[in-house]
Amino acid sequence: MMSKLSLGGKQSSGKINNWVEPSFGELLGGVSRSLKKGPLSGESKTAEKKSRKRKVDPYVSDNQITVSSEANNPDQDEPWVDIHAPQSQAELAVHKKKVEEVESWLRVHLDKSKKGGAILLLTGPSGCGKTATVQVLAKELGFQVQEWSNPSTTSQYKTEDLFTQSFDPDSRFNRFHGSSQTGLFQEFLLRANKYSRLRMSGETWTEDRKIILIEEFPNQFYRQPGCLHDILRQFIKCGRCPLVLIVSDSLSGDKNSRLLFKDVLQELGIHNISFNPVAPTSMMKVLSRIVTIEAVKSSGRISVPDKAALDLLCSGSSGDIRSAINSLQFSSFTDNSLERRLWASKKGKSSSAKPAVKAKGRSKSSKSKDMQDESPAIGGKDASLFLFRALGKILYCKRESYEGTQAPKLPPHLTDHQRDRLLVDPELVIERSHMSGEFFNLYLHQNYPDFFSDVEDIAQASEYLSDADFLTAEWSSRSTMLEYGSSVATRGLMHSNSSRAQANSQSTAGFKPLHKPHWLHINKTYRENYQTAQSLFLSFCLTPVSLLTEMVPYLAKLTNPMRNQAQIAFIQNFGHLSQKRVTGRLRLEALGDKDPGILDADSENEDSCAAQSLDPGTTQANATTESNLPNSQDPSGELSASQPQPTSTEALLDEEDLLIEEYDSD
Amino acid sequence: MSLWVDKYRPTSLAKLDYHKEQANQLKNLVQCGDFPHLLVYGPSGAGKKTRIMCLLRELYGAGVEKLRIEHQSITTPSKKKLEINTIASNYHLEVNPSDAGNSDRVVIQELIKTVAQSQQIQSSAQREFKVVLLTEVDRLTKDAQHALRRTMEKYMATCRLILCCNSTSKVIAPIRSRCLAVRVPLPSVEEVCSVLSGVCRKEGLLLPPELAKQIAEKSGRNLRKALLMCEACRVQQYPFSPDQDIPETDWEVYLRETANAIVSQQSPQRLLEVRARLYELLTHCISPEVIMKGLVTELLSNCDGHLKAEVAQMAAYYEHRLQLGNKAIYHLEAFVAKFMAIYKKFMEDGLGNFMF
Repeated sequence: MMSKLSLGGKQSSGKINNWVEPSFGELLGGVSRSLKKGPLSGESKTAEKKSRKRKVDPYVSDNQITVSSEANNPDQDEPWVDIHAPQSQAELAVHKKKVEEVESWLRVHLDKSKKGGAILLLTGPSGCGKTATVQVLAKELGFQVQEWSNPSTTSQYKTEDLFTQSFDPDSRFNRFHGSSQTGLFQEFLLRANKYSRLRMSGETWTEDRKIILIEEFPNQFYRQPGCLHDILRQFIKCGRCPLVLIVSDSLSGDKNSRLLFKDVLQELGIHNISFNPVAPTSMMKVLSRIVTIEAVKSSGRISVPDKAALDLLCSGSSGDIRSAINSLQFSSFTDNSLERRLWASKKGKSSSAKPAVKAKGRSKSSKSKDMQDESPAIGGKDASLFLFRALGKILYCKRESYEGTQAPKLPPHLTDHQRDRLLVDPELVIERSHMSGEFFNLYLHQNYPDFFSDVEDIAQASEYLSDADFLTAEWSSRSTMLEYGSSVATRGLMHSNSSRAQANSQSTAGFKPLHKPHWLHINKTYRENYQTAQSLFLSFCLTPVSLLTEMVPYLAKLTNPMRNQAQIAFIQNFGHLSQKRVTGRLRLEALGDKDPGILDADSENEDSCAAQSLDPGTTQANATTESNLPNSQDPSGELSASQPQPTSTEALLDEEDLLIEEYDSD
Repeated sequence: MSLWVDKYRPTSLAKLDYHKEQANQLKNLVQCGDFPHLLVYGPSGAGKKTRIMCLLRELYGAGVEKLRIEHQSITTPSKKKLEINTIASNYHLEVNPSDAGNSDRVVIQELIKTVAQSQQIQSSAQREFKVVLLTEVDRLTKDAQHALRRTMEKYMATCRLILCCNSTSKVIAPIRSRCLAVRVPLPSVEEVCSVLSGVCRKEGLLLPPELAKQIAEKSGRNLRKALLMCEACRVQQYPFSPDQDIPETDWEVYLRETANAIVSQQSPQRLLEVRARLYELLTHCISPEVIMKGLVTELLSNCDGHLKAEVAQMAAYYEHRLQLGNKAIYHLEAFVAKFMAIYKKFMEDGLGNFMF
């Protein structure tokens, strides 16, 4: 297949060839005057397979490309993601204000009069339209996008770099065959920079402005972020055009490329805009549009999914529009009988065989239960929750009342414990939060008192937390007990909150900010100070307890000139407990809705979690106080505003967003 | 100028101020020539360490007072590096093995081995053995205690151990039976007073007996604390007045305020404030056990007789969890919340009874 592909996609025999066709049409036919290098054979194959971003690339191409490729291949098999790439801001499924934010940044920094390079960092889950936004804006604002892609081998870099060849046939790039990805990356940046300068002095182009787009990073940078930082620093100094970095959020902590920029975000003045998953309503709009167009075009050859099926696709894709469109296409192509079977079989086993896939959507609103159980056979994504939402689900424990007579009643002496049915499955929430139960408990512990109003309740809740810790105390059984521990904690918390016992008593919830747990920090300081004290006052030959509870506090009260500088400093810091700083001394570290929860390291090792809390990201984030909460990271308020007026069928979907909003906006 | 505690620490068995009979016995023990392993126990501030140092001086002469601090690094079998501080003279080595946490077994074995393997330089002029002083033996892991038992037997020829701890309850029986147990009880109030006035006389100060008695009582007969208090009094005000305030440590005051906060209002909001205060105490290295104990004492003094039993039981329950659990704050907070609930209920019931 590889060889077939690399021969070029002119022969439109197979489906797969057709899927990569447009790119080749563009390059070989030379239709486009766009300088963007299209994906080449080997790369595009892997790219498609891994479902990388490249699919979206053709977005950059003007109408011409789509038109031309459509003209060449009237075949329906072309990916809809390409055909229906957004052509204007109006077609983007991204929130309007986000687009505006990006646009205004670009406008400012495309201005040639500005010196130095500027860097924009776009973050967000995959398939939320980050790249599409840039591409659409490129078209509307009239600038070009020059993109870096990791060369799979060094030699390929030469061929990939078609744009240089086309302008500079005697490219000196051959020289860099042996150099590392990092070297190539640096070279790319420098050349991209220089190149624009040359063109400015030369011919006059209508589109003389451009940006550099980087979506993937040489692997080396994950290991040595400093390397990248150095290159970026250099770019800031001598850059001529804006640099846009696009990074997908990921919940698995180790490869989190966002961390690449944590340290330098401030230093380099990188502007960070974070995207949200595509809202179900916007997605519905896009899907419906595509379906309508395709239905007309195909004149009945494809089966048009009905509204319910679209709903399902929407909720199944958890905000990933690319995967939604792909699955839409796929489900439309299969002929009717096959499709029915797929859907039917899925429905059959979804409840039993695939509990993980079940209740896939982010939904748990008033949608009926059986609706939830349906999960799309095609293109379903594993749902995951951001910590913020997961915590909210537990703390706001939504309940629904039993209907009619089927409500089980507890005997009279237990009526205290009568609760309505929970709408949340705590274990599922923890699972989706991608966090160990222990850390999840810490987060709960930090935040739960705000949600209680009665002391009895809170005493009960705190006892459950204590129980949970107690359960996991024994290290030999800890790995097994962790799950029970978190179950006890979450269910205990939910149950003991008697003010939320009934479904109708919950309307008064209101927004309460969530915070990151202090404990790890406190525990670390405790141990550090403990050791410092012991090493400083070793000569007293005292046991640590008497040293710290008797000697040091009294030393603070005495005037004793004999101690050395470090000892004096320590005594001044720790002997005195100022009576004035009673509360609020500890900075509350607000938990943003996008925070991946920096603490999800292995929980077995106390040392490692102490080290984790040392994470520069944490300390840096420390500086952001509550007041910073509604920054660009927290656009939920806008989210609902952006959505078009829901039609009657969309009302259900919309309700989900209301749910978010309840603990998301203030 | 060093602290009074250090300045007027007795240096020989004969000069000890109290428990003179015991001092005599120890002296006899040393003069007998041989000398078994010792297990010295008693409450904090009773003078265990002072007594041990006097004993060592009696054994080896003034040489033991030339102390040096050493940083030893020990590699565990699992290639983990441990840094441990020891205090040593030519004749003895003092170490607190509980600093090493879970690897205390390795520390004990390695240290005793190195000490025991080297002979005394002049065994004719000196004793044939060296002394290893282990403090906080009750905090050793069981593993380490068993290792200690074997080590004790193995190096009996060249090395004597003096173990020092607050209570023997956590020391395993085999060790207890291999040692001569020496209990050092707290000095009585009168003894503390006489020490205090003696120290003040040497300092050229006049200490009113009433104040001395107050200090002795307030310190809980902990002599170290009493001397520190006395010195703090001196800084605060001189000449002493019989009824002057005795300075307390900040954390004790802070803890009392915390207890008052708990008693004065019971609400989730207050619980959050209390949590912040507990964190504050923890960052000042007041260990969770001490916090718990202090809180209970303060709370008990604040609540009605009916509640006391219940509160004490609760405290015991959560203290137990504190020892077994991982994260102290859960248990401290659970205790506070529970107390709040009980106390609030009690107050409301009391109010109800009062009104009808």
